[in-house]
Amino acid sequence: MTTKKLRQYKYDPDTFNRYRQERDYFNFLSGILATMPDSMSQLSKEITDITVERYDQIVRCAEEGKPFVAGYFCAAPEIYEAMGLPWYMIMATPFLAASAPYLTEDIDAAEAMGLGTDWCTACRLSLYYIEAGLTPKPWALIGLIHPCDAGNMLHQAVARNKKWRDVPIFASDPPYFEDQRGIDYYAGELRRMVAFLEEHTGAKLDLDKLREVCRETNKQYEILSEYTQLRRAHPCPHGWGVGGPQAFAATQVFQTGRPRGTKWLQQLYADAEERVKNKTGPVPKERIRYFWFDLLPFGWVFELMPWLEQEWGAVLVMEMFGLQPYTPIDLRNEETIFKGLAKRNLYDSPMIRQARGPADYFASDIARVVKDYDIDLVIWPGHMGHKDGSASTGIMREICQELKVPYIHIGLDLFDKRYTTPEECKDKLSKFFSAMGLG
Amino acid sequence: MSTKVKSKALKEFQEATQMLVNPALQRWKDQGGRVIGCYCSYVPEEVITAAGFVPFRMRGTGSAGTDMADTCVSSINCSFVRHSLDLGLRGEYSFLDGVVWVNSCDHVRRIYDHWKRKIDTPYLRLISLPKKVDEPQVEWFREEVSLFRESMKDHFGIFVSDERLWKAIKLHNETRRLQRQLYELRKRKNPPITGVETLAVMVAGTAMPREEYNKLLKELVDELSQSSAGHSDHRARIMLIGGILDDPAYIEVIESQGGLVVTDSMCFGTRIMWKDIDEKEKDPVTALARYYIADRPSCARMFGDQPRRSAFIKDMICEFNVDGVIAERLVMCDNWTGEQFMTGEDLKEAGIPYIRLDRDYINVGAGQLRTRVQAFLEMMGR
Repeated sequence: MTTKKLRQYKYDPDTFNRYRQERDYFNFLSGILATMPDSMSQLSKEITDITVERYDQIVRCAEEGKPFVAGYFCAAPEIYEAMGLPWYMIMATPFLAASAPYLTEDIDAAEAMGLGTDWCTACRLSLYYIEAGLTPKPWALIGLIHPCDAGNMLHQAVARNKKWRDVPIFASDPPYFEDQRGIDYYAGELRRMVAFLEEHTGAKLDLDKLREVCRETNKQYEILSEYTQLRRAHPCPHGWGVGGPQAFAATQVFQTGRPRGTKWLQQLYADAEERVKNKTGPVPKERIRYFWFDLLPFGWVFELMPWLEQEWGAVLVMEMFGLQPYTPIDLRNEETIFKGLAKRNLYDSPMIRQARGPADYFASDIARVVKDYDIDLVIWPGHMGHKDGSASTGIMREICQELKVPYIHIGLDLFDKRYTTPEECKDKLSKFFSAMGLG
Repeated sequence: MSTKVKSKALKEFQEATQMLVNPALQRWKDQGGRVIGCYCSYVPEEVITAAGFVPFRMRGTGSAGTDMADTCVSSINCSFVRHSLDLGLRGEYSFLDGVVWVNSCDHVRRIYDHWKRKIDTPYLRLISLPKKVDEPQVEWFREEVSLFRESMKDHFGIFVSDERLWKAIKLHNETRRLQRQLYELRKRKNPPITGVETLAVMVAGTAMPREEYNKLLKELVDELSQSSAGHSDHRARIMLIGGILDDPAYIEVIESQGGLVVTDSMCFGTRIMWKDIDEKEKDPVTALARYYIADRPSCARMFGDQPRRSAFIKDMICEFNVDGVIAERLVMCDNWTGEQFMTGEDLKEAGIPYIRLDRDYINVGAGQLRTRVQAFLEMMGR
């Protein structure tokens, strides 16, 4: 790898303060999980440890002057992996560390910057971290201009930000509909992304390495697909505490195409299989099987999700990030690999799949999950940033009516519990459950 | 700010902003003419004109509530979407033969989903609009325009030949040229036309048969060019920037406080006419694609083009001798939230007075707006 003629990267230790805090927070969580011997906690611990290692790796790269980039789970992490480029998400805090104790304080600081309060909190926070010098400055940034307007504007604002104006940025342009022409176009965008990364990091993409990474991801998604089948069982073997979100972190963020991620998925599968055999679920008696159709409320997840299980016997059987429609990547040649990556990242990747294109995906995913997973209730949390989803609420409600399954739209902020408090959510859900005769 | 213009053409334009089906459009319909609704200024309306139809920019004019739309969308969706969809659900858009969208924003693109499920308009199409402004995106959009042209043939049986397309491009360029002439007059120390009147002219241009509009606009421009009367009773010259604003009543409040709107960067303003489609291009479809993706002043949604947008605003400020900038946006609009923030930072660096205002699509909120504008003018020392 050569770094000749590349932009001189200057390490600013101050910008790592929050990043180190987050790493320490995950370390703290890992310590707690270490004291809990049950299998689910141990599965969570392994993912937490993997997360800490990535944080450490980014810090090391910065300290040693080695390239690292900012990217996204849905912007072909297979390529960063194959190029040997460590990466992190500028939305890491809201996506991964939102339960950290400083979140509310940071949201207020973002507001004080003059960022509109109806702009997605995850985007506001990310821009605040850059403005406040709290996010590691990467060698190059892969932006995201889909699935939502807020993300597009975030990355435009990042590109214009004084502190990051010298960070080269590239974002792949998403076609709207799902067809072969769109796949071909997006594959072209991914090739341009590779050229961009090569130019700005000095790293090179080796096709054999990419094939190897994709082969491993194919294995990972196959196991994940089998795991999601196990979640159809009564009772569902796992609840909200383990499953989709961690599997997402393993396959699309921290262990893309790595055998350790594959091994973790095998352990996840084995644990679920054992539980299915023993008819063990996360609660003594499963009374409601629900589909949480979004990210979990990461900012206050511990204040709502356990309550649903304990108070109502309500088990999260499926959620948006655990819904895995992945098709394997055809490894025959460069063209098939890039087209496979285009399809996976654009049409399969969670949240991107549903929110980027027409609302049909919201409807078809609900229909599929309700039927396949014997769902009693569909919850659309209605995150304040997910405008396109909330603009589809009528369609989601109608498909649920056709399927004769109750549907509730809460209206909340996944990161800021002051928007709709956990107590208000509980009240709304309790009344709805009672009215529908659930639980 | 009282009008100095007594033009008949202007009256017709003003009338057109107050209703969906204006008299000129009604006459067109009565003669069997067809009309296609366009949900964004990025719909290549030249294709519609070339097919012999009138492109009509979708609005929520006359909406009294959003009860029906609220069963489809939520309270975090913008009021333009709720009002215009509500009108559609109530059958107020039954005069349309088709509606065309692009994936403008998270709110508008969902109207397409609801419309196709609930409203019986014969022809519906969503054109996939790139979010970047580079060559691969021009090529993608060229194919999209070609497919749009083919779909018009498939549905209506009308083949839009290259010859017809060039004719339509020339006609629309003529509109743009006349509109720029009108704006040129606003550079005068005492502009002969207010912001309220100009918005009416611009909105009417999206709601009338094109030839008729151009004829009336030429009359108006000639009349104003020859007149020496102008507005001298203002406290400051204002530039307005934002997304969809089709209600002159909003500008009326600003101008009532002495802020004369002399230019803009708006969907019903300079962004749709400051540049022409290149008539020297060999292929009309390529000419359209290049214009919409790369050449015209871009919308906030276009990634990578913010520096050019900011430069455009600064150029306008100089050209029109602007004293201060008012940025308006519909509540819940993420595109304009981000853009307002970035523009504000850029103008702060340039030392240009700037204020950000939130609004509702139908209710002007005159009291609050008046107070904010007063404070802004005072802050400028005007």
